[in-house]
Amino acid sequence: MKRRVLLVVMALLVFCAPAWASEPVNLGVYLPMTGNVAAYGQMAWSGITIAHKMEREVLGRPVDLKLVDTKSDKVESANAVSRLIEREKVVAIIGEMISGNTMAGSDHAERRKIPMVSPTATNPIVTQNKKYIFRVCFIDPDQGRIAAKLADQELKAKTAALIYDISQDYCVALAKFFKNEFAKTGGKIVAETKFKTGDRDFTPQLSAILAAKPDIVYAPIYYTEGALIARQAREMGLDVPILAGDGVQAPELIKIGGKSVEGVYFTAHFHKEMIANERGKKFLEAYEKETGKSLDAFAAMGADAYFITVDAIRRAGSTDSTKIRDALASTKDFEGVTGKITLKDDGNAIKAMVVNRVKDGEFVYVTTINP
Amino acid sequence: METTIPSTKAHVTRDRLLAAVAVGVFLVFLWYADNHFSAYSIRILNNIAIFIILAASYNLINGVTGQFSLEPNAFVAVGAYTSAILTLSPQEKLASFIIEPMVWPLSVISVSFPVSLLAAGLVTAVMALLMAVPVFRVRGDYLAIVTLGFGEVIQVVANNIVSVTNGPLGLKGLTPHTNLWWSWGICIVTIFCIVRLVNSSYGRAMKAVREDETAAQAMGIDAFRIKTLAFTFSAFFEGVAGGLLAHLITTISPTLFTFLLTFHLLIIIVVGGLGSTTGAVIAAAVFTFGSEFLRVVEEPFSLYGFDYAGIPGMRMVILSMMLVVVMLFARRGIMGRSEFSWQWLFETAARVRRRIRSD
Repeated sequence: MKRRVLLVVMALLVFCAPAWASEPVNLGVYLPMTGNVAAYGQMAWSGITIAHKMEREVLGRPVDLKLVDTKSDKVESANAVSRLIEREKVVAIIGEMISGNTMAGSDHAERRKIPMVSPTATNPIVTQNKKYIFRVCFIDPDQGRIAAKLADQELKAKTAALIYDISQDYCVALAKFFKNEFAKTGGKIVAETKFKTGDRDFTPQLSAILAAKPDIVYAPIYYTEGALIARQAREMGLDVPILAGDGVQAPELIKIGGKSVEGVYFTAHFHKEMIANERGKKFLEAYEKETGKSLDAFAAMGADAYFITVDAIRRAGSTDSTKIRDALASTKDFEGVTGKITLKDDGNAIKAMVVNRVKDGEFVYVTTINP
Repeated sequence: METTIPSTKAHVTRDRLLAAVAVGVFLVFLWYADNHFSAYSIRILNNIAIFIILAASYNLINGVTGQFSLEPNAFVAVGAYTSAILTLSPQEKLASFIIEPMVWPLSVISVSFPVSLLAAGLVTAVMALLMAVPVFRVRGDYLAIVTLGFGEVIQVVANNIVSVTNGPLGLKGLTPHTNLWWSWGICIVTIFCIVRLVNSSYGRAMKAVREDETAAQAMGIDAFRIKTLAFTFSAFFEGVAGGLLAHLITTISPTLFTFLLTFHLLIIIVVGGLGSTTGAVIAAAVFTFGSEFLRVVEEPFSLYGFDYAGIPGMRMVILSMMLVVVMLFARRGIMGRSEFSWQWLFETAARVRRRIRSD
């Protein structure tokens, strides 16, 4: 009998141990922590956890982060969102990093009316016809358009050549909208070349570009290919300015590209030096102290997704998902780590874009372009 | 678990009856699940059904016919795209094709889900039929390389014909038609068809080709025809499964159909036992359920001051260890080449009963 009582007491202790604090607010996070884009997920997660340490509470209740891995895969992303909603009973979700996976996850969230905020899903069709899906990044068409303006006004280019990755939605969309906008400014695309992720030799594409004699090369691609293309272009004697997108913003660009990437311009979401507000400064300090690393764009975007979601819950004054959704949609001039963010009713963000440049083996901040 | 059971007419009737009862019981379970399970559990059940279809049909060409082919990602892609393009509403097509508008006849077509699944199966099967001619000119490792190449080609095509597939942006906004009835209904039909085929004279010819192609030809088996039959048959069901998968996750893009998908299926059928449909079914269910179930090891928990942070990717480590254990202790997979049979069940039950009685 004594033993049985003891057992019951022990069992009770085990079950009650986590229930001391007041009822937490569950916030779901689904990220590619493993798989081929694991780097993005891990960077964002470090940003989210540090943002969480800065703002642990909302509505007087602790925020509990529930992380679920997507293996960088669509089927897993859909499973992950379903798990967060049905098993973890989350009130809102942050994720995913990749547009395709966000689309796979968003369908279920939309149907269950759980708001979702993606840090970096830039494909324009992610939020299309969706009421509950938001993002804290600008979309690909915007970046393509700004790049065209930059080419026209800053670099005074009359002709441009394109080189991009045909298998990445990000690259295709940037190239397409650059092309449209550049034509509007009176510019001319003299060469359009494509490749596929994993290609290592770009001689055919670069020869075509060299023959077309453009004023600039627009290369909306990722850093590995970006570095290789810059190297090979310089070796072939193609020395016109290269303009890229935020896909090249990784230390690997400089590591692989070395001297050849000097002077490469790119539009981006973030640069450390653009941080102007209190929250951003505090976050930067906490991040660098905690991780010992320099703050990158993915961590900053992840943090903003967290801050905006928590802010929306606070303004909604409840954990009712419809109210959180409405609060998110009315986010105006939110002072985030990556600048002022306004969320529109269609789920897209209005925010400033930065222009960076590679100089002396480092990314330097050039200017901010307001929306 | 004997491969050849002296079956009498009474046995056949009994087995059919039992199979019908088992399917009936399972349908009652599905009805219960449909009404009482959470959307999350239902989604996993759907995933299991789709992967069973894929594994069982892939096993037909790889295990039963013994042709080491690496094409399923291509066939699943063809099926998924066919069915997705056919069911998408014209408005959705207009809205999401932002790089290039969709070509005319496809942009206005919108058919019902069952028709699109059938079309997905047929288009994939025709593709397999056409492919069989060049593919089966080679054997062994060369076959693997040719089919692997085909998978890559399909991906490149999906990325490049933007006016049909929306390129790398992918298709989205599909209606989630796939439910328990569709996925498990088709799953049961697939298993039934494959078991019937394997047990027919064609199936025996396939096994003969697997054991020794030259000897089989010497015995009068048209190896090319048999291989093409297996290939087309499995392609049909892989295409249908692709359609089901597309309408489960409601969005597809070329990145979904990389070689990793084939690799995943290959692991499933090897663990299940190459050549065993039962094994393919069991392994597909274990892997799909297991990878979701094992998420608990990635979650943080704390017990009296001991904090476990939860390591993402941990479940993959456990699944891989399971794989190593299976390969070490059951080199031919869980089932080897054996199949489930009612006779085996009865005999095992009798053996267990005898042992209990003798104790």
